[in-house]
Amino acid sequence: MPDLDKLHKAVIEGDWKAAAAVTHAAIAEGVAVLTIVGCLVPAMDEVGRLFECEEYFVPEMLLSARAMKASMEIIRPLLAAAGDQPVGRVVIGTVKGDLHDIGKNLVASMLEGGGFEVIDLGADVAPARFIEAASARHANLVALSALLTVTMPSMKTTIDAFQAAGMRDKVKIMVGGAPVTQQCADAIGADGYSDSAGGAVALARKLVVV
Amino acid sequence: MRLKLISCEVLFREMCHACAHSPHQVDLEFLPKGLHDLGGKPMAARIQEAVDRTTQGEYQAILLGYGLCGNGLDGLTARHTRLVLPRAHDCIALLMGSHARYQAYFDANPGTYYRSTGWLERGQGLQQLTHHTLGFDESLDALVRQYGEDNGRYLFEEMTRYRAQYRKLTFIETGLEAGGAFIAEAAAEAREKGWSFECLPGDLAWLGRLVEGAWAEAEFVVAEPGQRIAASYDNRVVKVQA
Repeated sequence: MPDLDKLHKAVIEGDWKAAAAVTHAAIAEGVAVLTIVGCLVPAMDEVGRLFECEEYFVPEMLLSARAMKASMEIIRPLLAAAGDQPVGRVVIGTVKGDLHDIGKNLVASMLEGGGFEVIDLGADVAPARFIEAASARHANLVALSALLTVTMPSMKTTIDAFQAAGMRDKVKIMVGGAPVTQQCADAIGADGYSDSAGGAVALARKLVVV
Repeated sequence: MRLKLISCEVLFREMCHACAHSPHQVDLEFLPKGLHDLGGKPMAARIQEAVDRTTQGEYQAILLGYGLCGNGLDGLTARHTRLVLPRAHDCIALLMGSHARYQAYFDANPGTYYRSTGWLERGQGLQQLTHHTLGFDESLDALVRQYGEDNGRYLFEEMTRYRAQYRKLTFIETGLEAGGAFIAEAAAEAREKGWSFECLPGDLAWLGRLVEGAWAEAEFVVAEPGQRIAASYDNRVVKVQA
């Protein structure tokens, strides 16, 4: 499908105008909305790979995310109109005390491209806000981000708060961020950990299947 | 004792001061500030190289002028000489004089950017090792030149949005500032970014104990030959593994 190859290329190249144009054209041609969405995550996976091998850096990733978001802006209302059910509902945020959000924003965009309804609480999010949002929006997944070892304890505090609120068994909790590790995730009782944005989408999909 | 100190250059003035007052003979080696922006694993590899270069039998211990530093010290292995590392998340804890003081201040002051002598005068703009790849200190003009008007402007907005999310700049004053210029520069940076400014008295006693050989278990982790340092994910910050 030449049009969708162009969308893939537009995301990789960080060309949001081309991404929007190709999305409009594909819709006009009657390409199924889910088919269009289905090309976004593999494109961002490729971007992630380029980041891992240090061909792409933060600016390139931000531009690719911008292109993906431009396509999603057009698709989102059509998905809703088609009565499309999300794969899952995820509450995402950077934990209390931590203001870093670029990685978290990238994962949020990828999760949306991956079929999730995403409730993004931003940064410096207290445990009570995670709980309140998860409850109010019937989320089945909570994604916690931290970029400092000094704020990583807030991840444990958040998980413990879900336990204390009697909500721990209603949600799966995944963690990520540069200094986070599988050992840390295991130590604090998280359900999963990923070291990449693409990996986060795959993990999220696995965690919501019960 | 004869000791080797491998330290981040951000602590240059403070470490030189501590070593000058130590009863022991301390050989110093400083590594670039930008290591921590390479990420945990590459940073750990570079520090391990520095440890491995140390001549066997010459020193009673290799001291590390670091904290866990975003896992940059995670996995560091002692070869023939014991390693001593403060139980600190990072240099800000060291400059404040204790893990507890840092954690309390950090929790009470969210959205704070920290500065010290080394953070102002060493490795400006993270240029030494990251060749502008991070992009956070790029000017609008530079971004527009590299990415075009539309994308350049977008990146500038994304990369500078943190300025609105942070509220305060805290300069940690240790008495080694050699005149008012450091504090004035920090205050000017705070004004430029729209943040409030605080000058917080630091405490160099923890660094002093590092180079004096006063390695209390509560404050320092000691890795004997063959042991490795690892993040402990609790408030002792680091531990040793066989």
